Amino acid sequence: MATTKEEILEELIEAVVEYEEDDCKAAAQKVLDNPDLLTPMDGVLDGLAAGMEKVGVLFDTHEYFVPEVLMCADALYAGLDILRPHIKLEDEGPRASVVLGSVQGDVHDIGKNLVKMMFDIAGWEVHDLGRDVPLEDFVEKQLDTKSDVLAMSAMMTTTMLGMKKVIAMVKEKNPDCLIMLGGAPLTRDVANLFGADGYAESAGNAVSEGIKMIGSLRKYQKGDVPK
Amino acid sequence: MAELTGKERVMKMFKKEPIDRMPCFSGQGSVTIQAIEKMETQFSKIHNDPELMAGAALTSARMWDLDGLVIPYDMAAVAEAMGRGVSLYDAAEGIIYPTVPNKWKDLDEIDIPSNYMSQGRMPVIDKAFGILKKDAPDLAIGAWVLGPFTLGGQIMELDILLKGLKKKKDQIEAFLAQVTQVTIDMCKHYESLGVDFICVREMGSGTDLLSPRMWKTLIQPNLTKVFDAISVPSVNHICGSTDMIIEMMHECGADALSVDQKNNVVETRAKVGNDVLIFGNFDPYGTLTTLEDTAAVADVIKKCIDDGVDSVWPGCDIWPDVRKENMETYVQTVKEYGVKPSPAVKRI
Repeated sequence: MATTKEEILEELIEAVVEYEEDDCKAAAQKVLDNPDLLTPMDGVLDGLAAGMEKVGVLFDTHEYFVPEVLMCADALYAGLDILRPHIKLEDEGPRASVVLGSVQGDVHDIGKNLVKMMFDIAGWEVHDLGRDVPLEDFVEKQLDTKSDVLAMSAMMTTTMLGMKKVIAMVKEKNPDCLIMLGGAPLTRDVANLFGADGYAESAGNAVSEGIKMIGSLRKYQKGDVPK
Repeated sequence: MAELTGKERVMKMFKKEPIDRMPCFSGQGSVTIQAIEKMETQFSKIHNDPELMAGAALTSARMWDLDGLVIPYDMAAVAEAMGRGVSLYDAAEGIIYPTVPNKWKDLDEIDIPSNYMSQGRMPVIDKAFGILKKDAPDLAIGAWVLGPFTLGGQIMELDILLKGLKKKKDQIEAFLAQVTQVTIDMCKHYESLGVDFICVREMGSGTDLLSPRMWKTLIQPNLTKVFDAISVPSVNHICGSTDMIIEMMHECGADALSVDQKNNVVETRAKVGNDVLIFGNFDPYGTLTTLEDTAAVADVIKKCIDDGVDSVWPGCDIWPDVRKENMETYVQTVKEYGVKPSPAVKRI
């Protein structure tokens, strides 16, 4: 039976939304098996990312909550791991890069990992420092990699103050670095007070905002990873 | 009539008996940096020394004239006692709360030791309660414990726990039943030490993370068991989004509900009625640490009272590095503006 591009993409979307990792792997393999129909990047953007956009709608309408989103993310990565090695990078110029992690004193990383997923989908170079990361490590890594973005997460009120110090240190030496803050205790006012450029208040907010980022990405980018 | 002591004021409030004014206390950590500096110690040292743990709570309560106090200050003690380790951040600059570095990564790995109650810093906490019982007979002495789900997230990786709720429901239910018993045993232990009230903090279960449906099937039954087992006055505290689950929180059977600034207390009051004790709901960091105008602090506290709380509680631990004048304004406003009766508690 002939397979169409639309059918393969729908299988990817369905697998992500229904958090079926094995189905997602199978659909990703179909992408590779049908190079005449679609590219791996089509599979990532119009399949996996499109599926995650649907997840975002389900999350915003309170049909899905964080457990479901985490499982959808697992399914997405199952497909991404198959497709990503086959995506060709254009030669000219470096890829956009991000340094991210949860600040010292915070052993929670759900929000951070959801944000990381957005950068992974977009094909960014991701330097994930993990969780409970000493402040100086953020500064050192950012200055070392000269990343375009530094993203820090703190789930607890008690750990978010560390972010302020990192922002000051990074901005002093590299004022062009965009700084994103995330975490349940943050408010936009606090993020502004700390000198950050963007903020997401929770893993949920990260899902909504991140998925909107994917939506924009899909509109403007076809065929290859961004630079 | 002699003025009520803090303990009398708090205990009468829990019984919904008339009192002279709204009590000013919390079931979340209320230690401040001014007290720690007065004791000439550091925040990282007050978690593992009974004299310092009790002293920090008592010095803070005396300094700000609070009606009660609560220990311990961190949520890592039980997981540490189960062998999961603890990071105290002795060398880190500033205030960082202890965390658990080695959570179980798989449901099959979990092996809760039978002797955890005597391990790690548990004996330190016991001794600290002994000191407070002796040195603070006039104050309401509170303990706090983690609710079963949040405790589960302290001893095993939270993302594994959350995904397991959907994919390994039976195993997770069995695990939650096990940690529910731990929470109950902790409450009974603290009762045996003579605490006046217990705050159960199921802080990781708000609808920021879980659906109301999941809350009803996996959280409510276990919290109900916990509150059934507690003999002293009890508080059901959940931070984050609670508007969609507040009625179910009430059904769990605690003596009081505590919510943070994300809750719409006016609506909550309408849902649960005027006979239910509601505590909350100001943002402790945003109010006591960052506001630079004490009039704005007073407005925040007055709004909590006007919205219908019976005691003004911070939505989380008070961030220790408060502005002195903000803390003073918070306490003073509760005392003065809280002279009028609250929905569930009349005045003498």
